[in-house]
Amino acid sequence: MNTPHDENWIERARALLDQSTDALDAATLSRLHRARQAALAQRRGMSRRWALGAGVAAAAALMLGLGLGLHRNGQTDRPAPATPEAAAFQPADIDVLTGDDDALDLYENLDFYAWLDAQEGGSSG
Amino acid sequence: MLGPACRMTAFDAAPVPEPAARSDAGALERFLREVERRALRMAELATGNREEALDLVQDAMFGFVRHYGERPDKDWRPLFWRVLDSRLNDWHRRQRVRGRFRIWPAPHADDDEDPIASAPDPYEPGPLARLADGEASAALDAALRTLPLRQRQAFLLRLWEGLDVAATAAAMRCSEGSVKTHLSRALANLRRTLGEHQ
Repeated sequence: MNTPHDENWIERARALLDQSTDALDAATLSRLHRARQAALAQRRGMSRRWALGAGVAAAAALMLGLGLGLHRNGQTDRPAPATPEAAAFQPADIDVLTGDDDALDLYENLDFYAWLDAQEGGSSG
Repeated sequence: MLGPACRMTAFDAAPVPEPAARSDAGALERFLREVERRALRMAELATGNREEALDLVQDAMFGFVRHYGERPDKDWRPLFWRVLDSRLNDWHRRQRVRGRFRIWPAPHADDDEDPIASAPDPYEPGPLARLADGEASAALDAALRTLPLRQRQAFLLRLWEGLDVAATAAAMRCSEGSVKTHLSRALANLRRTLGEHQ
């Protein structure tokens, strides 16, 4: 596209344009400096806002997690029992296993109490 | 005059590569310091007014940092010129709508050139060759201001800023073919206008 003839004046034009940027006055250079600093300060502000936003989001996630955990602790749902024996286990059995003497006595003499109950039922009828 | 292949959409709607690495603020400042003077001269040639040019460059810096500051620094150059080019186009459109000032004469119709008349004479030393620096600089400024915006941008980005054709096309949001066409016409117009100053 460019001939060697073109190259000469284009090179001159380029040099003249470079000279014009070197000759900018101090007030203009100061304005450019301020514009640059303002643009960069905006970027730092954006970074801070991002950090603040991320912190708020993390705190919200933590609070949500804690809230859900507390809520689950208040519920009675349990995992499904692994065996039929475990499924037959009732909360009342805990009394027997935790050392309550009366409950243990009842548990050991279930046959006697069943017979006694049958006798009393028979004599009253 | 805008080329038919040029898209006039907002710069930030155009696809750009995804960031590969975060940039640091020091590198960003060095980059802006490196391009700001040329950006100012480019805006000044487009507007004919230094105050407006300073406002446009500041606006371009803000837009560039906001949208592209996190991009890898190898992408910065065409992206910065894209932002500035977008600002210059917006300014140009506003001026046309308002009809306030006619900084430059009525734009050339890009298709009304006689290729023989605009062909360079191989025996001529060329425009600017016989002028002293001060005169040559004023003549060059005046000649650049008479160019249509797209031709001037193609000339400045391609031959002064040193972008290759692809990067110039990215900065101007048009095809590489349009860049070549704008540049060819810019050279022909400058050759003719500057030749009148000999």
